[in-house]
Amino acid sequence: MVRDKSLTARHVGGVYWRALVAQIRAITEYPADFWVMASAGAMWNVLQFAFITVLFAAVPDVAGWRYHEMLMLSGLFTVASGSTALLVDGVWSTGQMVLKGEIDYRMTRPAPVVVQVATTHIGMQGFGESGIGLLMFAYGWIGAGLSLAALPIGLLGLVCAIVIECALITVFCAVNFWIKGPMSNFAFVLVDLQSNAMVLPLGLFPIGVRIVTLFVIPVAFVNFVPVAVLTGHLSAWWLVGTPLAALAAVLAAVGVFRLGLRSYDSAGH
Amino acid sequence: MSSLDVAFATVTFKRKIAYKTTWIFSVLFGGWSLLAGLAVWSHIIGDGEIGGYDWPAMRAYLIIGFLTATLAWSGSDWEMANRILDGHVAIDLTKPVDFQRARAAEYIGGMTASVPAAVLGTAAACLIFRPAPPASVLAAALTIVSVLFIFPLAFGISYLATLTCFVTQRFLGIQWAKDSLVAFFSGMMVPLALMPVWLQGISWALPFVHFTTTPASIYLGRVDTAGALGLLAAQAAWSVGLWYMGRLIWGRLVKKVTIHGG
Repeated sequence: MVRDKSLTARHVGGVYWRALVAQIRAITEYPADFWVMASAGAMWNVLQFAFITVLFAAVPDVAGWRYHEMLMLSGLFTVASGSTALLVDGVWSTGQMVLKGEIDYRMTRPAPVVVQVATTHIGMQGFGESGIGLLMFAYGWIGAGLSLAALPIGLLGLVCAIVIECALITVFCAVNFWIKGPMSNFAFVLVDLQSNAMVLPLGLFPIGVRIVTLFVIPVAFVNFVPVAVLTGHLSAWWLVGTPLAALAAVLAAVGVFRLGLRSYDSAGH
Repeated sequence: MSSLDVAFATVTFKRKIAYKTTWIFSVLFGGWSLLAGLAVWSHIIGDGEIGGYDWPAMRAYLIIGFLTATLAWSGSDWEMANRILDGHVAIDLTKPVDFQRARAAEYIGGMTASVPAAVLGTAAACLIFRPAPPASVLAAALTIVSVLFIFPLAFGISYLATLTCFVTQRFLGIQWAKDSLVAFFSGMMVPLALMPVWLQGISWALPFVHFTTTPASIYLGRVDTAGALGLLAAQAAWSVGLWYMGRLIWGRLVKKVTIHGG
């Protein structure tokens, strides 16, 4: 692996931004594709919105969480999930690139491989997903009676949620460096677990699930912890863990991807 | 069914069972959903009932949802989509094989490979969670027929979803949209009985409802024998309807295929 000490954060950021802008330019060439994908992403959220609304028409609360609080929980997760499609969608192709030996020439370029891989696509469903997710979060925020004074906490939670989700997806897609296959099954399982379980209050689940989601694979810090702090279900001290979880997730993503590149032996070996 | 169909199905079946991890993942996907469903509904129902479901009936409902979801989401959606996205479809057009029929055979072959995992997972769930028994022996038999209809229904819906790849560059978002439509309108996320009447009406007018609500309603005796036979007829009608819908849309979208700038 070629490692260049001149890879400053500014240079890496510049490469990332230029690659992303190139993808956005490509999107504008395919407007039908954009609208189909953005609508598909929005649909997922609209149905999630409908699920919560139907559920709360039958019950007043779930484990002490009321309708608007649950909307915030689901909304924050979908914003984070949609952002991965907009910011690092290419990592879903890690498995295919490893199988086909397509990492080779990316290793010879003067930019981190993970940045190059992450910017090979933009998942246009992310526009619809993040948009409706933000609406759900905002609607839940207003309905739950939260004041604007809590906005800095909300923004911190939002930024950290996006960072943690992007980093964890990168980690789970990088598993394909060792367990070869075109599909990122581990990342799919992670997202499936989150979309099934993490849009519900953590108190519903056994202690083992709570420990794993808080301290092993910190998916609880994506949406549960920030929303629980905002709505008073958890003490404000828990908020300290959110940026720490984001930092740990980013370090894990960089570390696991580097280890993966070390074990990468191109195609046909 | 011709020997060619069997050959396509067999190839996909063998390819799927060659990857043991695929079995584990197919159970894991449904497993999370089942466990999350059990956690939330046990909390909500407690000792009472909701929408006509008491706790044993809801356990049966969720386990049927797990079984049908494991089957429905084990098909070769990505293989079909990639044929269109990477241009293989152009080569398929030169072959003396009907594209839709070949993909159907492959899809059913792929789904069949998930049957052992789905059955084992369901048996384990039944042993651990003790769901309500079927309303009668006849209801149990008709439930099995209803579950079998998921094979053509899943193909029909997935095929229509993959055809959108003629106008899109990526399939991931389409797949998630399709999966969420199935999950919501089938009643996997929340039973139809809890939905407002107008939403129930929309759900019953769509094919997705036959993935969970139909087999669960037959199993739990929420419909009588005539009602069960009517639901099976609706499943058969949707299977045929989706097939011809696929043919119609294919005929229009295939004109968009371009081969390296041609």
